[in-house]
Amino acid sequence: MRSTSPEAESARRDFHEIMERKGHAVDNARDAVARLDRAFAEGALRRNPEIDGVLADLAVALEQDEGQKLGGKSSEAARFIGRRLEQLLADA
Amino acid sequence: MTGFLGRGPRVSEEQKKRIPPGQYFTEKWPVLHYGSVPRVDLKTWDFKVWGEVENPFQFSWAEFKAMPRKSLHTDIHCVTRWSRLDMDFEGVAVQTILERAQLKPTARFVVVHAEQGYTANLPVSVLNDDDVILADIADGAPLTPDHGYPLRLVVPKRYFWKSAKWVRGLQFVPADRPGFWERYGYNNNADPWKEERFSEG
Repeated sequence: MRSTSPEAESARRDFHEIMERKGHAVDNARDAVARLDRAFAEGALRRNPEIDGVLADLAVALEQDEGQKLGGKSSEAARFIGRRLEQLLADA
Repeated sequence: MTGFLGRGPRVSEEQKKRIPPGQYFTEKWPVLHYGSVPRVDLKTWDFKVWGEVENPFQFSWAEFKAMPRKSLHTDIHCVTRWSRLDMDFEGVAVQTILERAQLKPTARFVVVHAEQGYTANLPVSVLNDDDVILADIADGAPLTPDHGYPLRLVVPKRYFWKSAKWVRGLQFVPADRPGFWERYGYNNNADPWKEERFSEG
């Protein structure tokens, strides 16, 4: 069931705004995930298996091993996965 | 006669015919992936074949190197719009793997599994082609880590994201299961000659 509390709406809005702000898509996605983690921890939004799966995909896309450059498709992956997450959060 | 095809080096009329719509010719082999390049230990590396098959099996790197070899001269096309012509790959024909696995009639699709949970999906009818190989050599040299060392799939008739790098297994399934990029907006079929880059939805 969709959370309709002001905290939930605020978390959804923040997630969208962080993903859309100017700057590097990977940095934005990292910040957006941090905001989302806070929303989950506070109970504003509820996780579900589909969201967890998408977050796991995003974590791989954002992962940067020591001494390596981030892959050239990480930005695109961050944007694409972020859009899917936003759809899922609408019902979270 | 030669000419430019958008950006990049000159291409002949013959080469132009081999470049799908919306693509440009490059002599480079751009590196495109997300996240980090996985670290691979050949001593523990293995490759699994399972699902809707009569004979599931797995093989080690030494066993892979002992399989019958196949060479492939082909063109490759990336969804990011570059095409590279006349590449030479060497490895093992996927048809060799299919023969050993003995697919059940229910095996209609394959999920290609790679390091870090990456997947790509294909119909078996596309996988089961004589130009599809598991390649460990490209243009005469072992794959570099950023191009998929030690092993990548090569499916020349599809955009190159279907040719998964760092591949570790083939899972045969009765119904299609979108892979990583297919879940997030890339086209499921990915035919470069039809410019099937992104999904409609």
